[in-house]
Amino acid sequence: MICDDAIFMRTMVGDILQQAGFEIVGEAETGVQAVEKYRQLRPDLVTMDIVMPDMGGIDAVREITKFDPQAKVLMCSAMGQQALVVEAIQAGAKDFVVKPFQPSRVLEAVQRVLG
Amino acid sequence: MDTARYAELFLTESQDNLSAINHALLELERRPTAREPVGALFRAVHTVKGMSATMGYSVIADLSHELETLLDLVRRGDRDVDASLMDTLFGAADTLERAIELSVAGRADDLDVAETLTALRAASKSSRTPDAEPPAAPAPRSRKKRAAKSAATGSALTVVVALEPDTPMMGVRAYLAIERAKTLGAIVHTSPDVGALAADGFDGTITIALETSAGDDEIDRVMRSAGSIATVRVSRPGGAPGRVAASPPNGNGSEARRPSAGTASELAPARQHRHIRIDLQRLDTLMNLIGELVITRGRLQQLAAILNDPSLTETVTQASRLVADLQDGIMTSRMVPMWQVFDRFPRVVRDAARALGKQVDFVVEGQEIELDRSLLDEIGDPVVHLLRNAIDHGLETPDERRRAGKPPTGRLSLTAARDRSAVVIRVTDDGKGIDRDRVLARAHEMGLIESGRGDLTDDEVVRLIARPGFSTAREVTDLSGRGVGIDAVHTRVRALGGTVDIRSTKGTGTSITVRLPVTLAIVRALLARVGDETYAIPMTHVNETAHLELNTIRQVKGRDVLVLRNDVLPLLHLRDVVRLPKRDAGGGQVVVLEVADRRAGMVVDELTGQQEIVIKPFDAVKDGLSVFSGATILGDGVPALILDVSSLL
Repeated sequence: MICDDAIFMRTMVGDILQQAGFEIVGEAETGVQAVEKYRQLRPDLVTMDIVMPDMGGIDAVREITKFDPQAKVLMCSAMGQQALVVEAIQAGAKDFVVKPFQPSRVLEAVQRVLG
Repeated sequence: MDTARYAELFLTESQDNLSAINHALLELERRPTAREPVGALFRAVHTVKGMSATMGYSVIADLSHELETLLDLVRRGDRDVDASLMDTLFGAADTLERAIELSVAGRADDLDVAETLTALRAASKSSRTPDAEPPAAPAPRSRKKRAAKSAATGSALTVVVALEPDTPMMGVRAYLAIERAKTLGAIVHTSPDVGALAADGFDGTITIALETSAGDDEIDRVMRSAGSIATVRVSRPGGAPGRVAASPPNGNGSEARRPSAGTASELAPARQHRHIRIDLQRLDTLMNLIGELVITRGRLQQLAAILNDPSLTETVTQASRLVADLQDGIMTSRMVPMWQVFDRFPRVVRDAARALGKQVDFVVEGQEIELDRSLLDEIGDPVVHLLRNAIDHGLETPDERRRAGKPPTGRLSLTAARDRSAVVIRVTDDGKGIDRDRVLARAHEMGLIESGRGDLTDDEVVRLIARPGFSTAREVTDLSGRGVGIDAVHTRVRALGGTVDIRSTKGTGTSITVRLPVTLAIVRALLARVGDETYAIPMTHVNETAHLELNTIRQVKGRDVLVLRNDVLPLLHLRDVVRLPKRDAGGGQVVVLEVADRRAGMVVDELTGQQEIVIKPFDAVKDGLSVFSGATILGDGVPALILDVSSLL
């Protein structure tokens, strides 16, 4: 499941994952949607943008982890968001990638999170 | 990459860094041999460089790269800090600021940075060891401390983790590695500290003292799951406990560490303050909504009073309380500390003093005082004006000061303080003060006063200065006195519902005090009626109210005065002010108005109550109706004008 408020980013992450053979089961544009859809879809992996309207990615991670402590969330962050990424990890995110995305780094992180 | 989304974040962060750069430059100018300002400069410039490269802003990246190169030389002691270097650095900081603004606006091409780049390169070349390789100084972190700490680690083993060199967000990756290590056992100590991971000195190697029962292979596997890990080395306390842990983390002599910053508390998991960034527009929307709600509450209260139904009254009272709490909460969320604006003033003062050949010791106090965000934005320019005025017209040149028996360096202070529901901002200088004779001569020239009015009080003389277009500057300088004097400040402050008070003593200095309401938009007001019209008087200026009895009005020199207890106050009539015919019938009420230490009584037909009013933007001052500062809508939906008390006294 891909969570990002920018269609551009969702498309790009989706392409990277699909080309590597993953299936995208859902997308969310806000943190609230992300939490809702996680409950419905129970995806194997969530990519989570940090800055989103309604509920930010960090709060969404917190909610999702509360619901499912085993949830595998990969944070997608921009340069300069170090402190936020740390907060996301504290909230339960398993790993992170930094924009601009290099497909190889995204896939490496995905593999690590999926163990 | 969808950079537009990050442009704003970039801008905000860059501005924070620019502010840090200017502060560090001023500090460096004061203490040219100090190390910390250079370190701070380097870090801020480095951050800007990294961010701009990601955003694809090559102009900023080039500039900050050259600046960083020069700063690195300074940091290593290969380039002395002298006046010409400071000029180059200040100039580069200014160019950087413009480059950031223009790049974010998509107009980077409008700026020619060639000159700045050349100046930076020239300054780098003039270093003592131009070909020096950058083997930066070893980390100043205390060895002793580390050894002491690790001596206490006892049976802990040491894991040295090195990240791949081009790992993005190395600090966070290292943090993740520490988090992974926690799943293996208890962490005794890490080096560098978790808090220092964000510093640009972090070289990607982290040493973790860990108490665990896990085997080497498991440790290796778990640590590598943090990603981007180049090597994992595990050393167990063997025959000599503690000795291994005490060795430098990246042993074998590869001391290629940049000086550690230590200030990067960003990464520390401490959470005393949890902040989010909110778009100012959202807060404005909330403020507008609460304004409408306050007006509606007024209407509700009136209706409830008319219907006089106990349960309705109770509900309205409860709703009113909630609205008040909500209003309070929203106003508080809009408050920001003064330093957000004051921060740029030391630089402004320094530049102005240099341009005018004056020496200034600038002191700022009360930076932590909070003010509504929208007011803070508005007050910046007037304060800059006051500061420049003080340097230009107030403070003398070092020679003049010596002749006057003063120390050559002038004192200029900017203070902010809370006073009840107002914020008081004061600019004080110890310069030559306002020249009474020149003001009088100029006022006469402008036809503001008749000649020979030597009997004006100092206060009246000073108030002449605040008249529109008044300026006694002998020559127009670059900085101030372009025919826009104190009156510009006065107009601006009045539009914000504030007042300006000027105190000056010839030869010893001038003090200008600006009083502002803590928040715009919603104020408590007294409602006064004359004829069919209701006017609002902000409570900040109301001293007291009284019934008007005819025997308390006296005539002095043909003017009405009010005798109130032992005081005699000038008396004005709101009917005169709004140009309504006088009322024959006696009675009415009087409001005692107060601005600074001036007081006056004002006669109104009737006082109809108090209300929270929402000030609506209004260009009254520009249109010449200078007795009103704004308009509002009352509880019954009727508009009312807000009296500008300071213009009445």
